[in-house]
Order: sequence, then structure tokens, then C-alpha cells
Amino acid sequence: MKRKKLRRAEDLFFTWVMRACLMTAAVVLGLILFVIFWRGIGALSWEMVSQPPSGGFYLSQGGGGVFHAIVGSLYLAAGATLLASLIAVPVVLYIHVYSPNGRLANNLRLALDIMWGIPSIVYGAFGFALMIYLGMRASLLAGIITLALVVLPILARTFDEVVSMAPRHLHETTFSLGSTRLEFLGVLLRQTVPGLLTAVLLAFGRGIGDAASVLFTAGFTNNMPEGLLRPVASLPLAVFFQLGTPFPEVQARAYASALILTVIILTISILAQLSISRLGRHVIR
Amino acid sequence: MQPLSIRKLNVWYGKQQALKDITVDIPYHQITAIIGPSGCGKSTLLKSFNRLLDLNEQVRINGQILFDGENIYAPGVDVTDIRTRIGLLAQKPFPLPMSIYDNVAYGPRIHGLANGNLSQIVTAQLQAVGLWDEVKERLKDPATGLSGGQQQRLCLARTLAVQPEVLLCDESTASLDPISARGIEELLRGFKDKYTLVLVTHDIDQARRLADYVIFMWLGELVEHGPARRFFEQPQQELTQAYLAREIG
Ligand SMILES: Nc1ncnc2c1ncn2[C@@H]1O[C@H](COP(=O)(O)OP(=O)(O)OP(=O)(O)O)[C@@H](O)[C@H]1O
Ligand SMILES: [Mg+2]
Repeated sequence: MKRKKLRRAEDLFFTWVMRACLMTAAVVLGLILFVIFWRGIGALSWEMVSQPPSGGFYLSQGGGGVFHAIVGSLYLAAGATLLASLIAVPVVLYIHVYSPNGRLANNLRLALDIMWGIPSIVYGAFGFALMIYLGMRASLLAGIITLALVVLPILARTFDEVVSMAPRHLHETTFSLGSTRLEFLGVLLRQTVPGLLTAVLLAFGRGIGDAASVLFTAGFTNNMPEGLLRPVASLPLAVFFQLGTPFPEVQARAYASALILTVIILTISILAQLSISRLGRHVIR
Repeated sequence: MQPLSIRKLNVWYGKQQALKDITVDIPYHQITAIIGPSGCGKSTLLKSFNRLLDLNEQVRINGQILFDGENIYAPGVDVTDIRTRIGLLAQKPFPLPMSIYDNVAYGPRIHGLANGNLSQIVTAQLQAVGLWDEVKERLKDPATGLSGGQQQRLCLARTLAVQPEVLLCDESTASLDPISARGIEELLRGFKDKYTLVLVTHDIDQARRLADYVIFMWLGELVEHGPARRFFEQPQQELTQAYLAREIG
């Protein structure tokens, strides 16, 4: 009898502990969104999202907006995610189809985990050194390549985990129908495509928010992106530079830029959720 | 004619030997049941027939399995061809991650069997397993939306659509309710004139109902095999007698 009461109390206690943790997480997220919104909404205007800066944007009297950085960031993040996917997806599928627990696979996982832990400023410095060696200038292309290195481990390891969770019987069933390994790969991709999309999104979200890796490699400019070999602006750096001025009006624009960045990420997450549930219709659980 | 002849087959998982010196012939267009207690190597034997064991990297195999007179373990044999001609129905229904239609169409598509009448093939196979009327309105729906028994019949249709010569079933009714299980049993019985069937079961009554030929295994060894009638009525080995009397196992 006593034991029963104790277990009930225990259960109640931990339920509340978990609720408290949940609340903390929700409150912190809410607070961040609230601050960005509160401080940025005043400076947010149609001009801000639709025009590149005009003269004196970083002084209090300047006009224009951060459209150049929005486009630049989308190019950088999309390019880097695409490039990283082109490497990560075949690599992950290869190790799973040919030797999921072999030495090669495990060494690769270790290497990716180490890459994941390296701060992005180090990739920035690496990219910068490589650029100098190749005689390149800061450019969209250099930014994409460097950012691709930052997101590659995220994409590859997340997708690797997704593929590892594919049911063991998928393997046996597909091969018992006389499939080749390439055909099995196709079936495996069908099973894991929603997870792949999640991995791609995670990488994109990380990529679009990263400032340190593009600081030296993509550079910064007040112009719209002009080509792969020209410098581009990006939202995180726009926030950084605007926040660094002594003028409160410009600092407010930094929050507006941050708000735009947040809205982009939010929109993409929601779109992805919708497409994941559509793509996941056939997935075997 | 013997479509499958097993000759001195030994199989190891790492260091552990799972099959010891198995030699037996599987009769043509009959139902052969492999029976024996859990862990005696029934599934291992069955999966050696279509080289599905090869998927496990630890497995080591020696001996021969002759399929139409050719050793399927000879170097240079096309494994996908073996698996195409010898189909497998697993213990648990496992649809592929695609629609009901695409599940059945999968085999004909990869093997190029359709010749422009894929939907006729799909329809015919779904009819052959008695699933057509239940699914004809929802061919594009996910296969996971079907009940367990329906899924198993779908898997059977998918296997048959590849046009195998031999059909292997590994306790294919064990995870189903009794009515669905009987349904599958009836289907298998009716397939005898088209396919050579090999079923693994640990249900002695099921073996009695279905089998024409019986193989009895014990701890990785083949204890006794023979035509079902003789096997059940006059078992030669003491081990078989004890097993059939349910004294051991
Ligand atoms: N993947 C594996 N790795 C290592 N050992 C295995 C593996 N699969 C089977 N074995 C071993 O091989 C032996 C035979 O297993 P098998 O699955 O063929 O038995 P079974 O007769 O089908 O049993 P059940 O009726 O329980 O399905 C068992 O001792 C088992 O532990
Ligand atoms: Mg088994």
C-alpha cells in the first residue's frame, strides 16, 4: 500500500520535472523570438526586404535595405547544401549498401564526427588559406565551398543515422526479389527520403546562419550578388556589421535583419514538415 | 527431376556451425516441409537455397547446391538470377516502401518482364492471391495500410510476379491470425502444380496438412527425410518419433 503511494508520488514528481524542463525550453525560445521581433519590427519595412543598401546605410541617415544579403545568404546556403548533398548522399548510401559496419564506414563516421566538432571559424581560415593559395578573391564560390565543409558532417551523419534506422528486412526483402545493389539503393532511398529532407534542412538552417565561415571567404558587399566569382553579402554578416555601428537606428536594422533570417528558417521548416508528411506516406515504420 | 539437390552443405556463422553436412533432394512440384525445434537451422537451410545467406558477412558456406544441375555456389554464378528464379516469402509480411500497386510491379519492372502490360500482371497476381477485390479501389495507397494477412498476401503476389520456379516460405503464416494463416495455406496448396515449394514450419500439424515431403532437422543436422506419409506414419529415427510425439523440442 505504502509502496503504491510512493510510486504514484514519484510518477507525479517526475511528470512535473519534465513539464518544468519543457516550459524552460519553450520560454527561452519564446524570449529570443520576442526580443528579435520587438526590437526589429520597428525598422522592418518593405524597403528593408526589397532593396539593397543605398549610400550611408550604415550611418543613421542611409536608405535602402538588406535584399542583397537575403539573396546572398540564400545562394550561399543553397549552394553549400547542394554541394554537401552531392557528396554526402552517395557516400552514405555507398557505405550502407556495400559495408555498413566495415572499417571504412567506421573511420568515415569518426572523421565526420570530428569535422562536426570543428568551429566554423577554422573552416573560414582554411578556406581563406586555400583561396590565397589558388589566387582566388573572396567570392560566392569560395563561400559556398567553405560553407559546404561546415554543413557536410551535419548532413552526412544525420542521413547516416536515418539510413541506419531503416528496417533490416528491407535489405533481405529487396534482395530476395532479385534486385541488384543499385536497385536496392533506390528502394533504400525511397524509405529514407523524408529523413534525408530533414538532414538537408538541418544543414541549410545551419548554413544560412553561419557568419564565421563566410567572413573571409565570401566577403561582404553592398551590391546584389553579381556572379560566382564576385563577393556576396550575407544576412549574418549584415547583422554583425549593423550591430557594430554606434547608431541606434542602424542597430534596430540589425534586429530587423535577424528577424528576416528567422522568418526564412521558419518558413523553410514549415514547408519541409508539409513535404515530409507527403513524402513519408509509403515509409515502413 | 530434382530442381534442388543439396550436397554436403556446411554453414557457419562466425565460428558457430549452423548446418552440418546436409545432403538431401527437394522433389519437383511438391510441397516440402522443413521441421524441427527453434534454432535447429531451418531458416539457415532455406536461405542457403537462394543465396540470401550471402548478405550476412559473417557467414561461411561450403558444399554444393545444385539447381537444375548447376552449382549455385560455383564462382561466377549470377546471384540475382538465382534469387529471381527462387523466390522467398518471409515470416513477417514486409511491404516495400511504396504503394500496393508498386509493390507487385517492383519485380516485373526491375526484371523487364512487363512488356507494356504491367497493370495486367499486377491485376493477375493480386487475383491469384485473392487480394484483388479488397484492394482494387486503392492501388495507389501505401501498402502499410493493409492488415497483416492482407500484407502477407501482397508479399506473396510480389514474389510470384517475379515468376519464380521455386517458392521458399519461412514460417510465413506464423505471425498471422488463424483465418489469414489458413488462407495462405490454401493458396500454397493450390500452387503445387506451378511451383516447387519449400516451407519452414515449427507447427507439426501444418506440416501434416500441407507437406508431400518432410525434412526433419535437429541441432544443425538432418535427422530424417522422406515422403510425408512414411515420415509421419513410420518415422525411422528415435529422435523423430520423440519429436512427433512432442516429447522433445
Ligand atoms: N545472423 C546470425 N548470426 C549468428 N548466428 C545466427 C544467425 N542466424 C542464426 N544463427 C544461429 O544459427 C542457428 C540456426 O538458426 P536458424 O535461424 O536457422 O534456426 P531456425 O531453425 O530457423 O529457428 P527458428 O525456428 O527459431 O526460426 C542458431 O543457433 C542461431 O543462433
Ligand atoms: Mg527461423
